[in-house]
Amino acid sequence: MSAAEQMVAAAPALSVRGLSTTFAAANGRRLTAVDNISFDVMPGEVLGLVGESGSGKSITLRSIMRLIHAPGEVTGHVGWQGRDLMALSEREMRKVRGGEIAMIFQEPMTALNPVLPVAVQIEENLRAHTSLDAAGRRKRAIELLDLVGIPAAASRLGDYPHQFSGGMRQRVMIAIGLASNPRLLLADEPTTALDVTIQDQILKLILELRDELAMSVVLVTHDLGVVAATCDRLAVMYAGRIVETGPVGEVFYQPHHPYTRGLLGSVPRSGAERTMLLSIEGTPPGLAAIPPGCAFAPRCGFADAGCTAARPPLEDFSAGHAVACFHHQTVGQQEAVLHG
Amino acid sequence: MTLALPPSARRRAFRLPRKLPAPLLGGGFILLCGLILAVFPSLFAPYDPLAFDYNALMAPPSWAHPFGTDNFGRDVLSRVIHATTIDLQMAVFATIGPFVFGTAIGAVVGYVGGTTEAIFGRIVDAVITFPFLVLVIAIVAVLGPGLGNMYIAVGVVDWVFYARLIAAEVKVQKRLDYADAGRAMGYSPARIIFRHLLPNAITPAMVYLMTDMALAILLGSSLGYLGLGAQPPAAEWGVQIADGKNFMATAWWMSVFPGIAIVIAGLGFSLLGDGLAELMRTKR
Repeated sequence: MSAAEQMVAAAPALSVRGLSTTFAAANGRRLTAVDNISFDVMPGEVLGLVGESGSGKSITLRSIMRLIHAPGEVTGHVGWQGRDLMALSEREMRKVRGGEIAMIFQEPMTALNPVLPVAVQIEENLRAHTSLDAAGRRKRAIELLDLVGIPAAASRLGDYPHQFSGGMRQRVMIAIGLASNPRLLLADEPTTALDVTIQDQILKLILELRDELAMSVVLVTHDLGVVAATCDRLAVMYAGRIVETGPVGEVFYQPHHPYTRGLLGSVPRSGAERTMLLSIEGTPPGLAAIPPGCAFAPRCGFADAGCTAARPPLEDFSAGHAVACFHHQTVGQQEAVLHG
Repeated sequence: MTLALPPSARRRAFRLPRKLPAPLLGGGFILLCGLILAVFPSLFAPYDPLAFDYNALMAPPSWAHPFGTDNFGRDVLSRVIHATTIDLQMAVFATIGPFVFGTAIGAVVGYVGGTTEAIFGRIVDAVITFPFLVLVIAIVAVLGPGLGNMYIAVGVVDWVFYARLIAAEVKVQKRLDYADAGRAMGYSPARIIFRHLLPNAITPAMVYLMTDMALAILLGSSLGYLGLGAQPPAAEWGVQIADGKNFMATAWWMSVFPGIAIVIAGLGFSLLGDGLAELMRTKR
């Protein structure tokens, strides 16, 4: 819909180039959690960042926000509204965080301060990023709680986080995040800790807010169902690298990377004939032992000697659809997993 | 839409649990009584604590002098009551400074970590290497005896214990999601430390504060006993015990009653600390 039209016209809202995050290990080596990744997020677009646990999705988000703790080091370029976030001073970065780019976390149980009423936590964001006076902040806090669908918002301002259920807390988190009208929302598995029914409500809420506030969203998840339901584009991560990226429909219909294919094949589908679920053999590599060449090669049915000798670059093979695999033609020609 | 907190919400926010922990009530009661005695000692003391009565030197407990009299004929009960003022004052003044200062330092150190924390660790080591009492006595000996110098001496040593407690707790809290959420919201480090982390980290320090107040009374009494704290003829429990030590065989009441007062005050603070810990635990 309109998001797709905008995509053609506008320049990317967020443009990540060559982002790497490494951590110093005890033996003096550096472990690479995010390995030279690049991607764009268009205005109004929802980008899904997909991968198994430990594939570097969350670290990517935190790296963009420069929230990586001490032994970690981030390099690369994050273009945001004509500036490079990596080059901003800490003070300038604080204006971006929460004001222009908001982030919500996986665990609504722990991401709210347990000893402050929710109104105080919402108003705090407004105090930091807007010039509203006390009455204006209070009014906006009620508006926000209303916006995220908390019933009787005005009467719940004084409540503490422990007085809300998990789903309601995630709504409160979103309300705090959205307080200052950010242009980009980084959502780190916002629904993983929630019931399926609540999960659906929260995702719908995020999409509604995306339309209402015209913001972009980067949604980190390991749930392909969530991606199918919400995202415009997805980027698949494996061992800290992006292995395939493209429009959701296209990637789901015809995955070109064996890993993407494996992920899609491992999800049960309704409506299709009963078939065996595919599973990917083996486990993802640890950070200390990422294989040479293509990191997925040891688990890959298509791999040959070339795959361990050199790392396949992430290259466009059709408009907006890129893949990092030497054998992507072969993989793409395989029977489509979605129509198996 | 109302802009102020509706009354129901406000009530809900600040409601105490229906059943307060028994130690809290017990400790609170003892300290409340102590506080009343400390503020209005003249209302309860039957005699002037400094008035000599040469007709009743070292008189044993009687209806006229329930706790007996001392070697100058001063009424021990009146002196014990008047000493409440000084002793409770010591409990508060000796601890509140270290509590505030130590908490602030500890919070910053715990949050910043790294080299700052390493340096802080060495300072802590240096301070706790000396036995607490010996260090305080040494400082008082340099500064000169008296209550004011005693507060300074305690403050120089005692803040380390609060700082260590808070630093450890802040180190735990700063790794939690809500701290990252605060950073992701663009809040300044000062705001995250004092507004978000500290309220979540302060419970152990507050419980320790209560214990520390009991210890401060004991310390004040010890220094009084050694002649380094409150100076005679002021009534102070430690001083009274010291005065009575030469007469233990003939006039035990001179030392025993102030001793009991110290025990009761210590008990009050300890109970309050226990109760507070229990209360904070149930709140989580």
